[in-house]
Amino acid sequence: MPEAVSATQPPLLEVKGLGKRFGGFVALDGIDLSVARGERLGLIGPNGSGKSTLVNCLCGTLHNETGTVVFDGKSLNGLIAHERTRLGLARSFQLPKPFHSMDLLDNIRVPLLYTVNARPGHHHLSAAAITARCEELLTHVNLADKARRRPRDLTQVEMRKLELARAVATQPTLLFADEAMAGLSHSEIEEILAVLMRLNEEGITIVLIEHIMSAVMSFSTRLVVLVAGHKIADGLPQEAIRNPEVERAYLGE
Amino acid sequence: MRNSLFWPIIVAVGLAFIVLTRLYLTNEYFYFAGYVVLEYIVLSTAWNILGGYTGYTNFGTGAFFASGAYTSAVLHKMPAVLHTAFGWTVTPVPLPVMILFGGLVSGAMGLGTGYLSLRLRGVFFAIATLALSIVVQTLIVNWDFVGGSRGIYIIRPALAPLGGGYIQYLFTLMTLLAVGAVGIARSIERSRLGLGLASIRDDELAAEASGVPTLKLKLIATTLSGGLMGMAGAPLPYYVTYLDPASSFNLSYAVNSVAMPVIGGMTSWIGPVIGSILLGTIQQLATVTISSALNLLIVGVLLILFVIIAPNGIVGLVQSWRRKREA
Repeated sequence: MPEAVSATQPPLLEVKGLGKRFGGFVALDGIDLSVARGERLGLIGPNGSGKSTLVNCLCGTLHNETGTVVFDGKSLNGLIAHERTRLGLARSFQLPKPFHSMDLLDNIRVPLLYTVNARPGHHHLSAAAITARCEELLTHVNLADKARRRPRDLTQVEMRKLELARAVATQPTLLFADEAMAGLSHSEIEEILAVLMRLNEEGITIVLIEHIMSAVMSFSTRLVVLVAGHKIADGLPQEAIRNPEVERAYLGE
Repeated sequence: MRNSLFWPIIVAVGLAFIVLTRLYLTNEYFYFAGYVVLEYIVLSTAWNILGGYTGYTNFGTGAFFASGAYTSAVLHKMPAVLHTAFGWTVTPVPLPVMILFGGLVSGAMGLGTGYLSLRLRGVFFAIATLALSIVVQTLIVNWDFVGGSRGIYIIRPALAPLGGGYIQYLFTLMTLLAVGAVGIARSIERSRLGLGLASIRDDELAAEASGVPTLKLKLIATTLSGGLMGMAGAPLPYYVTYLDPASSFNLSYAVNSVAMPVIGGMTSWIGPVIGSILLGTIQQLATVTISSALNLLIVGVLLILFVIIAPNGIVGLVQSWRRKREA
C-alpha cells in the first residue's frame, strides 16, 4: 500500500544539532529539524532569530561549525552551494538577486544549463528544449510577455516571481522560499501563495520563511518557531502559535 | 551571423589581411605600428574575458604580458647555456613554440590569481592584481639570468620564416594570435560558459544557488585571460630586440588593456577590438606626429569621457541608437 510506504519513508531533510557562530555571537544553537516529503513547512521567528542564517547554512552559502545535515539520504556536510543545488535543494533570496545584465529568458536559462543539464545520468536537454522550458517556467509565473525584458523593468512582485521561477528551474525536491512576500500588497501575497501552492501540488516540498502571519498560517501544514538561535516550537500551526514561549517572544512578557 | 560560420570567416579575414598587407605594403613602419595595434587586440580581448565577461578587474596586465616575454627570453638563452654547460648542441627554439610556453607560464600565473578571487572581490581583487605586477617585476629585476634591471639583448634570427623581413613574420604571428583570441572570446560569449561567467558578474551568490560552479568558472577565466596575455608578450623580445623590466612591465599595458574594452564596450567581443584599433591607431599616430609622451594622456582623457558619457562604450552607444530607431 502506498500510504504505508510513505509513512515509513525517511524524512527528506534531517538536520541534527546544527550550530553557527559569528565570532562570539551564537546565531544558531543545536537546531534539530526534519522535513518530510511533500510538506509545507512554515519557519517563523522575530528579526535576528536565525531563520535566514539557517537557510544559508542548509544551502551552503554559510558554513555551520557543528551538526549534520542529511538531504534525500545524502550527507550535505562539506558540499558547496552549487553542489547542493544540483542535489535538488533550491532557494530564493530574501532580497531578489536577479542576473541584471540578462533578459528573463537567460535568467532562467542559467539554472537549466547548470543544474538540469549538469546532473550525471540525466537526459540532457537540447538548446531548443531549454528555451521552451524557460518560456514554460515564465508562463507559470505570468512573466512570459516580459521574457525579453531585463529585471530592471520588473515590479517588486514580478521580481519575486522571477526569483521563484529561477529557483524552480533547478528542478528542486526542496525549496526554501526566504521572505518571498515581504513588502508586497495583499493581492500580491495571494498571487505568490498561489504559485507556491501549485509548486507544492507538483511535488516540491516547501519551507516558507515569512513574517506575514496570515500567509504562513494559511500556507503551512506545520510550523517551526526560532527565537534567538533556538527552536522553541515545532508542530501544527494553530498549536505552535499558542505555545506560551512563542507568545512571549512575539508579544513580550 | 551563425555560430558555425564565425571561425571560418575570422580565419579567412586574418589570412586575407596577412596576404594583402604582404602584397601591397612594403613600408616597414606600417608593420611596426600595426604589430602594436594587433598586440593590443590580443591584450584587451584577453582582459575582457575576465574583466568584461566575469566582472573581475585586472590591473596586472603587465605581469602576465612580461611573463610571456621573459619566458621567451629564457628559452632564447637556453641553447647557448646548454652548450657552455654540457656541451650539448641544441637548435634554437622557434618563436611559435615560445609563444606556446609563454601562454603556459602566464596561464599558470592566471590560475594562481584565480584562487585569489576566493577571498577577494571587487576593488580588493583589482588591488591584488596591481600588487602581483609589482611582485613579478621585482623578481625579474633581481633575476640576473635574464639581465636583471639592465635588461637583455635579443638577437633576431638572420632569416625570417615565411619569407620577407622578420618584422613581417612577427606581424603575421600577432595577426594569428589576434584571430585566435577574438575567436575564443566570441565562442565563450555565445556558450554555456559565457552565460555562467555573466551570472558570476551579476551576482555570485545567485549564480551558486543556480548551480553554477563559480570557482571553477573563475579559474577558467583567469587562466585563459592570463595565458592569452602571456602569448601576446612572448614575441616582444624579438620585436624590441632589447628586453628590460621597466618597459616590459610598463603601466601603459595595464592602462590600455583596461581602457580599450571600456571605450569599445565590455559586453561583446567586438568592443575590445574596436577599442584597440581606435586607441592603438590614435596612439601610433600621436607618437609620430606629436610625441610619444602624449599617449597616456590621450587614453586618460578618452577614458574619462567614455566613463561619463558612454559607460557601455561604443558598442553600447550603437545598441541604444539602434533601439531608439526601432522604437
